[in-house]
Amino acid sequence: MPGTARRTLTPAVECARPVPLRPAWLEGSLALRQISDDIALPLSARPGAGWFVCIAVSLTALAVGVACVTYQIATGIGTWGLNKSVGWAFDITNFVFWIGIGHAGTLISAILLLFRQHWRMSINRSAEAMTIFAVLCAALFPLIHMGRPWLAFWMMPYPNSRGPLWVNFRSPLVWDVFAINTYLIVSLVFWYFGMLPDFATLRDRAGAGGKKRIYGLLSLGWDGSQRTWSRYETACLLLAGLATPLVISVHSIVSMDFATSILPGWHATIFPPYFVAGAVYSGFGMVMLLLIITRRVMHLQRYITLAHLDRMAKITLLTGSLVAFSYASEWFMAWYGGNADERFVFVNRATGRYAWAFWTMVACNVVIPQCLWLRRVRTSPAALLPIAILINVGMWFERFVIIVTSLHRSYLPSSWVMYYPTSIEIGTLVGSFGLFFTCFLLFIRLLPMIATWEIKGLAAAQARGRS
Amino acid sequence: MSPMTKDATVYWKSLEELRAERHDSSSRRDEFVEPLPWKRTTGARAFQASTPPADPAVDGASRRDFLALMGFSLGAAACSRGTTQHALPFVTAPEDLTPGVPNWYATTCGGCSASCSVLVKTRDGRPIKIEGNREAPLFGGGTCAVGQATVLSLYDGQRLRQPLWRGAPASWQEVDEKIESQLRTTGAAQGRITLLSATITSPSTRDIIARWSRRYAGFRHVVYEPVSYAAIRRAHQTLFKRAVLPHYRFDNAALIVGLEADFLGAWLSPVEFTAQYARRRRPGRSMAHHVQFESTLSLTGANADVRHAVSPSAIGHLAMALLDRVSSADREPFAADMSLALAASELDALADRLLRHRGESLVVCGVQDVEVQTVVTRLNHVLGNIGHTLELSPCSFQKQGDDEEVATLVEQMQRGDIQALILYGVNPAYDYPNQQAFLRGLERVALSVSFADRVDETASHVHAVCPDHHYLEAWGDAEPVTGSFSLIQPTIAPLFETRAAQDSLLKWLGEAQDFHAYLRSYWQRNVFPLQTGRRNFEEFWDGVLQAGFLNAPVPVAATAALSGPVVATARRARDGQPRELRVGTADRFELHAYETVALRDGRHANNPWLQELPDPIAKVTWGRGLAIAPAVADRLDLQDGDVVTVTGGGVRVELPIWRQPGQPSTTVSIALGYGRTGAGPVGNGVGTNAWRFLGHGADGLLGLHPTVVALEKTGRFAPLAATQTHHSMEGRPLVREATLEEFLTDPGAGREAPEALPSLWAEHEPGSHTWGLTIDLSSCTGCSACVVACQAENNVPVVGKEEVARGREMHWIRVDRYYQGPASSPDVVFQPVMCQHCANAPCETVCPVLATVHSSDGINEQIYNRCVGTRYCENNCPYKVRRFNWFTYANNPRFDFNMNSPLGTMVLNPDVVVRSRGVMEKCSLCIQRIQAGKVAARQSGDSIADGQIQTACQQACPAKAIVFGDMQDPGSQAARFRQSPRHYHLLADLGTRPGVGYLTKIRNREARTR
Repeated sequence: MPGTARRTLTPAVECARPVPLRPAWLEGSLALRQISDDIALPLSARPGAGWFVCIAVSLTALAVGVACVTYQIATGIGTWGLNKSVGWAFDITNFVFWIGIGHAGTLISAILLLFRQHWRMSINRSAEAMTIFAVLCAALFPLIHMGRPWLAFWMMPYPNSRGPLWVNFRSPLVWDVFAINTYLIVSLVFWYFGMLPDFATLRDRAGAGGKKRIYGLLSLGWDGSQRTWSRYETACLLLAGLATPLVISVHSIVSMDFATSILPGWHATIFPPYFVAGAVYSGFGMVMLLLIITRRVMHLQRYITLAHLDRMAKITLLTGSLVAFSYASEWFMAWYGGNADERFVFVNRATGRYAWAFWTMVACNVVIPQCLWLRRVRTSPAALLPIAILINVGMWFERFVIIVTSLHRSYLPSSWVMYYPTSIEIGTLVGSFGLFFTCFLLFIRLLPMIATWEIKGLAAAQARGRS
Repeated sequence: MSPMTKDATVYWKSLEELRAERHDSSSRRDEFVEPLPWKRTTGARAFQASTPPADPAVDGASRRDFLALMGFSLGAAACSRGTTQHALPFVTAPEDLTPGVPNWYATTCGGCSASCSVLVKTRDGRPIKIEGNREAPLFGGGTCAVGQATVLSLYDGQRLRQPLWRGAPASWQEVDEKIESQLRTTGAAQGRITLLSATITSPSTRDIIARWSRRYAGFRHVVYEPVSYAAIRRAHQTLFKRAVLPHYRFDNAALIVGLEADFLGAWLSPVEFTAQYARRRRPGRSMAHHVQFESTLSLTGANADVRHAVSPSAIGHLAMALLDRVSSADREPFAADMSLALAASELDALADRLLRHRGESLVVCGVQDVEVQTVVTRLNHVLGNIGHTLELSPCSFQKQGDDEEVATLVEQMQRGDIQALILYGVNPAYDYPNQQAFLRGLERVALSVSFADRVDETASHVHAVCPDHHYLEAWGDAEPVTGSFSLIQPTIAPLFETRAAQDSLLKWLGEAQDFHAYLRSYWQRNVFPLQTGRRNFEEFWDGVLQAGFLNAPVPVAATAALSGPVVATARRARDGQPRELRVGTADRFELHAYETVALRDGRHANNPWLQELPDPIAKVTWGRGLAIAPAVADRLDLQDGDVVTVTGGGVRVELPIWRQPGQPSTTVSIALGYGRTGAGPVGNGVGTNAWRFLGHGADGLLGLHPTVVALEKTGRFAPLAATQTHHSMEGRPLVREATLEEFLTDPGAGREAPEALPSLWAEHEPGSHTWGLTIDLSSCTGCSACVVACQAENNVPVVGKEEVARGREMHWIRVDRYYQGPASSPDVVFQPVMCQHCANAPCETVCPVLATVHSSDGINEQIYNRCVGTRYCENNCPYKVRRFNWFTYANNPRFDFNMNSPLGTMVLNPDVVVRSRGVMEKCSLCIQRIQAGKVAARQSGDSIADGQIQTACQQACPAKAIVFGDMQDPGSQAARFRQSPRHYHLLADLGTRPGVGYLTKIRNREARTR
């Protein structure tokens, strides 16, 4: 619930300004009108040169991706580097990577809402948008990685006259279909729903014409009455409750693509919590990356403060530690379990042909984030930015290592092969980043990137007393 | 159509109409006898007239129904993706041709001169599969990889469509006129006419050639074999006054000593020898012991119980040493300067063993050197083997090359003494060591004719090319071993304007008969009297055609009398041996050349199945590397694929190296049969031509005489496409083996007792059968005939070198080969792996669309139509037996092999779908054969007998190592093998419960593997 009034302690003696119990989530005292203006400014103002440069780059990347995917679907999966032993590499790595990134948004919007963490209010809108775009990017990969993607609808259990012929409900890929679709739909609904009052604000601010009509349509006739607000907040809580389990379930299901298989290195029960922690970890990396850049470029430092970055960095550190613990647990169990095939996989990861990927992963995921123990680092955007990038790199490599090292050397040494990516696969990965950043760049120009109505509530509460 | 009134004049068009009109007037009005399926939509009633319709069938249709149907058909037309295909029925159907039912013909394989008896499966008039003739006693019913692949060479787009005269297409009439006139001139001038041919095992063809001799005084027939066996014949001529190639009987041998003879792979008659060898190598008290001395690791050496890697020049010394120890009590110390890793005591032990097995031992040698072969023949004689493990009568006709005559011929040609030269089945411009001399001589020949089926290296230099039929289109006969006759009959009318070579020879003689008639009359005169079973020739002829073979009794010759004293000749032989060459230092090595199992002498270089067949030892496709010992490669800092220059004897070639475990450090080995330029688009430019390293030795024989070569690094890199790049089992219990002693003590030695693992999955309900396979690792020699057989049977595509290098070969069955022990002398094991048809299949649970399911027959089925290609099944398969269609392989110019032309696609098996891009495929246990067997059983009312249904791999295996059967039938061989104490499953502890089992490999040696 936005901003509940809190009372401050009246100082007994005159002394320095009272130390707040909690940091101020908004810098300075802001009038409500000011907030609307600040947040709505990018929507009406002409974007700066920087934005144009960024979108030109991301559109180029997107175009590269579209060309690569078109070529690959027209010619065959053979244009990738996959082979008889390695059936998945870049495709599923990218899929898990993007899905994982999406989890931070849902955690910020839903779980932190339920935990009444008010600092999430500045960042939840863009984080949720990031989730949508990330899930979109992710959903592309299961589609294009199929040998016959024009038959992808067969993965859906629709009534048919062929028996009827159902999908294989025992297959984790079918669970993926349900999970990803659920996640996409719930996230979209939650995101859109959260923007309703802001659309109303924009509608009210807009002059007559096209924009007013569009915002009017989007705001679904919001009237701002007490009753509406009351129901709205209940609805938000319900949606948050609906979205919360998705943070755990979606990536657990994605991890079961590996955990339910028979391959050594995949077949481990730690995968669901390990992957969820990793997802939140990489998601927060991406959120920090996006927000650090955006707050600077869009002049939203007063809304997305250093305290926000500090909190996000702490969550990053927590989940990073969970990920490091998972690694250690895997290695320990491989040794303790005594299974020769399992032991070999982990030794091969560290010392085999892909050892460079493994050690990149360890350096980026385990070693470098230890800097976040230092408060100085956590509150410095200049330090957080490279760390966030490296976390994403490390998490991409983690999925790559898991998938490719387990596949390229499994049970029968006669089928051991090397996997080398082709330019088409790399182009597709670049294209997915192009799609993501294009969407995000458009988002910050077309939709309010901070939840205005939540911030206003926060500002009011802050003005009344320390919130 | 207006209703007819009764009194109107009715005109009828046909009697039926008249009759029908009288019987049923209402149907006459309808244009369609059956009413159109107009549906009564709910809206139709609203639009109908108030009066009920006169004829519900027609008038019940409303505008809405009409529009619905029109819309449907428009939509259907738009959705239709089918292309128009024309199916033309026969105007005059051939006898016995039922579409969908195969016809089988017995014939003789023409892949090499071994002349194995085969059955050819034809569908709709075209041969699509070769199988061994089970009933032929000589060959045992198996085939080799080359034999399996010859069905594809019938549909080779490179084959000539018509004869050529001086390179331009001509008609047979023109060519015949020109040739006959030239021959007449030559004959009149007493000129020299030579027929240079490969080994001819056909007695009728030899008869025709004899006629030529009688007709032309200057006619000579010279047999040229690039890989010659003349030394063996010469040795027998020296010792027994009979220049014969013995018929070897490995099944009679309790002790086999191989000296550089790859008799299981490419030497002489591998199918026959493998069948004999497998019979004698069943684990048990009478299991034969096999010792092999050789340079490069060959298929035979990989199967030996004891193998010694020695340089080629040492083979002669070894033979001599053995002969010494066997024939005389005094054992001369094995010469100290022999840098062999072989202790004298080992030789003593072997000699003792040979003596213990008098009359049931066999020493075979593949070295092309008369002295060495004389020693070996003498050795066999001293041991009393002649007549038991090697027979001089019957003898073998499978190799008849006469090297001295070839040399003489080439000299004569160069001098211009040869007026006419006919080339039949030979390609000297490619494989003759001194091809320049040959070509110079060819230029001076007034008339040169080639029967080659394509413009190969030699045919591009001759005057006339008169293409011979493919053996599948031709009549003929064969007598590979005395008394074992077989017929060749056409399985398809000749595809092109080719003509049998024998027909050409008869025509140019002026004979009126064609070869078919000639063949029949020859058999009537010469073969028919040899048997007493049939009195009527027509019956006899049909009987032999149907059976495919005839065994005539052979007069047993008296025990061969040895001429000349034993010891003196032996000593002379030894003294004549060249000293061992100082090699192995720096970059100087002895060179050894060998025929590969896949390409042999290179005649099949344009066959994509053979080019893509992984070498059984090296697992390399599309070319071979120079085999170098790993230690030497380390010393010279060479990796697989580094290109080196090999220089020696005035010859210089470049090729990449291959680190070959088991290669002696003194020797490098190069594969013959590569480096062709006139084979066709598939074979040209693959590999390097090594024939020039051969030459005529001092004894006039063609062979690789001890040559020292120098290696030089070029710094370039030409990677070889290998299907298996990791060669160790990494300590995993994949191939389980035991020694014979251990086995005799405990038949279950080497494997763990099977334990029933708990399973979360429900048991499958068993159907009427439970199909399964058992593979006997003791019998499997690794020859890879099963790989090509499966490719032929199941329309498995060829992908080319680049794709194989990426790890995308499509073979459904592969033969894994692992090394154990030190790299200088490893033990080798082979393990054929195909889909294991697991009861708890990891692939079945993860396919999202249920494209892979388990049948009630125990087969893991892949449903191509349903597969969307997520490849989770491939990832989850622990055996990695699933193959994905990465590209469209059919009708795709990028993969221009056998699926990109109407001619090449004639080889496809119509019972098996050709898979599209994006679909997973794998071994189906030849489900089409199982279905055919079940249908036949249902129609005849009998139950399916054991062995009635055979998978393609089982059928092709010359060692009968693969056994398919119904596990529910306790009497079936497969079920009995499953109960065998040697039986185990691959990766059993994963709980997959495979339907394929293996029998442990038993080695006949004392010590466990090193």
